[in-house]
Amino acid sequence: MQPRAAVKRPSIRVSDGQREAVSGLVLVLPALLVLCVLYIYPLCASIAGSFVSDEGIGLHNFAKAFTLYGTDILFTIGITIITLVLVFVVAVLTASFLRFRNWPFLNFVYRLPLFIPYLIAGHTMRVFLAPHGILNILISRVTGLSDLPGLAFSWIGLVITFVWKQFPLATLLILGAFQSVEDSYIEASLNLGGNKVRAVWEILLPICRPTVLVAMVLTFVSTIGCLTIPLLIGPSKPVMLPIDMAFRINYMGDWGVANALGVISYLIVIALSMYYLSYTVKKEDA
Amino acid sequence: MRRVLKTALLVTLVSMMVFSSLAMAADITINLVTAGDQNMVDLFNMELGPLFAKENPGYRVRVVGTGPGDPGSQQIVEKLLAQKRANRESWDIDVAVIHEIGASLALQEELLSQYAESAATFKYVTSSTAKTALGVDVEGYVIPMFHSQTVLAYNPNYIEEPPKSFEELVEWVKENPGKFGYNGIKQGASGVSFVASWLYWKTGNYDIYAVTGPFDEKYMESWEQALAELREFDSYVTMTSGNAATLDMLSRGEIWIGPVWVDMFYSWVADGRMNPDFRLCLPAPGMCGQPMYYVIPAKAANPEAALKFIEFVTSPEIQAKYIVEKFNWYPGIDASYVQEYLPQETWNMVFRDVGPEELANYARVFPIKDYYQAMMEAYEHAMR
Repeated sequence: MQPRAAVKRPSIRVSDGQREAVSGLVLVLPALLVLCVLYIYPLCASIAGSFVSDEGIGLHNFAKAFTLYGTDILFTIGITIITLVLVFVVAVLTASFLRFRNWPFLNFVYRLPLFIPYLIAGHTMRVFLAPHGILNILISRVTGLSDLPGLAFSWIGLVITFVWKQFPLATLLILGAFQSVEDSYIEASLNLGGNKVRAVWEILLPICRPTVLVAMVLTFVSTIGCLTIPLLIGPSKPVMLPIDMAFRINYMGDWGVANALGVISYLIVIALSMYYLSYTVKKEDA
Repeated sequence: MRRVLKTALLVTLVSMMVFSSLAMAADITINLVTAGDQNMVDLFNMELGPLFAKENPGYRVRVVGTGPGDPGSQQIVEKLLAQKRANRESWDIDVAVIHEIGASLALQEELLSQYAESAATFKYVTSSTAKTALGVDVEGYVIPMFHSQTVLAYNPNYIEEPPKSFEELVEWVKENPGKFGYNGIKQGASGVSFVASWLYWKTGNYDIYAVTGPFDEKYMESWEQALAELREFDSYVTMTSGNAATLDMLSRGEIWIGPVWVDMFYSWVADGRMNPDFRLCLPAPGMCGQPMYYVIPAKAANPEAALKFIEFVTSPEIQAKYIVEKFNWYPGIDASYVQEYLPQETWNMVFRDVGPEELANYARVFPIKDYYQAMMEAYEHAMR
């Protein structure tokens, strides 16, 4: 019996390469399934759903989205870009400072917002920045001025909250990258008469560009898709797109326009990343 | 030794099976599904369910929540509809607690049992909401669990005489810009109520929009003008970002008056988040409120147990202690039956500013579904 079995075995034996491919596939399968079910399927469904409305298949939802929420689309883009720029500035400043000087207190404090959920961050800022909030009460006590305007429920309060909540993650990433750049590069530039600002701008940032890009993309995506913070502290008109989406679904059961607004947000994200990528590529060519 | 152990094990197993089957025979589980916020789930799960089980041994209540607002009610209707379409013999919901929209949808699909008149507590049910919901005749199919009402809450430090009507309110708002706050139609029905009430006031078509119908474009022609006037009014007001934000700004003194849900207002007072001196008023020609209903699905597995539970929770004692005293809603049954079970101070507090008579005159319901949707859409168009 045994020899016969030994003869048969080679015919069903798979090559090592194939076996590796199969076991590799089996290993990634759970992750792939989760990705398909929770991400790719909803994405396709939302894109497909954006073309379906009571009037049939077509661009009706997009037409409605642009007429009703055109201002909100522009507002969302504006807030997100302002937030992005400010997060970049604050994160790079903090990271540069910590790159050159070891200050454990700052190193600890800047990370705190990372551990605060969006909901709490929004509520904290709302209590802090409201017209009769803690900040204005303190200012009134010190200066004697009363009836100060509040920053909450305006775009300024919204941006302040976003920046406060988003800059720690960007700083964490950028600081890590900055610290992996060897001191010798910076020392060389300082020896040749450069200052620290130039060292950051012309040495650290270019070397760390991939990480900075990742930090900025993460900031951008989590800002444009955030519902909680605009809900808690943003103005009630205009509003960010997630609020409009929630409204169409919760109050009107209108998934079509909500999906159209979703697709518009995807397009905004794609457009801005394309712009950024082509810009950096151009810069590299030059 | 081994045999002894084996026998002991066998005896234990058999007796466990016997007892558990006995216990099962004695236990009837009432499956209750409720729309609404977490407070609704907690009310049934922690208070009413255990209390009912304690007074009626052999019953237990299992509670599932489907989430706040109309979508929560719609989920319940969809679940029942799916079981109906699958031709199930018995459905897995015995008692459902739903909004007006849920009741009207469920009735159109013939998902509800006509149980109300057989309930011992039906004699206490007097409100008009037990007769129609969003224009649909629901009489006999529902018993209201509670009524909630939107009113104007105001800060008496700045407003001595509250506006008695929408005309007076508009006048006051123009004299005091920025001190009236509401949330538009996003993130809270207190604002939706204000917008609907504005349309009722401006058009005078309340009955058509909310009670009788029919749905017809011609009744919406005046909306453009009414909403344009609302837009002008809005330039004198503070737009808040939701039900809670209106209360929040009111309590900090940033606005002096605004539409709120009565029950939310009193809960905030009870939690110490709202000045108890603040007052309420219900201006003519009225503002919207809504009930939630107890219903029994047409093919509930335990209809008798469900009825028993509903009779229990719509009894005047329970309505007084839980619905009014604990949650600050207006009772689902007639308030006059509830009064004797309430401490005088609670009665005085709940009906201090807006009494039963004003409620009878000025409590409105939300527009019927088609007008409701059209109103939202028209508002978004007018305010863009």
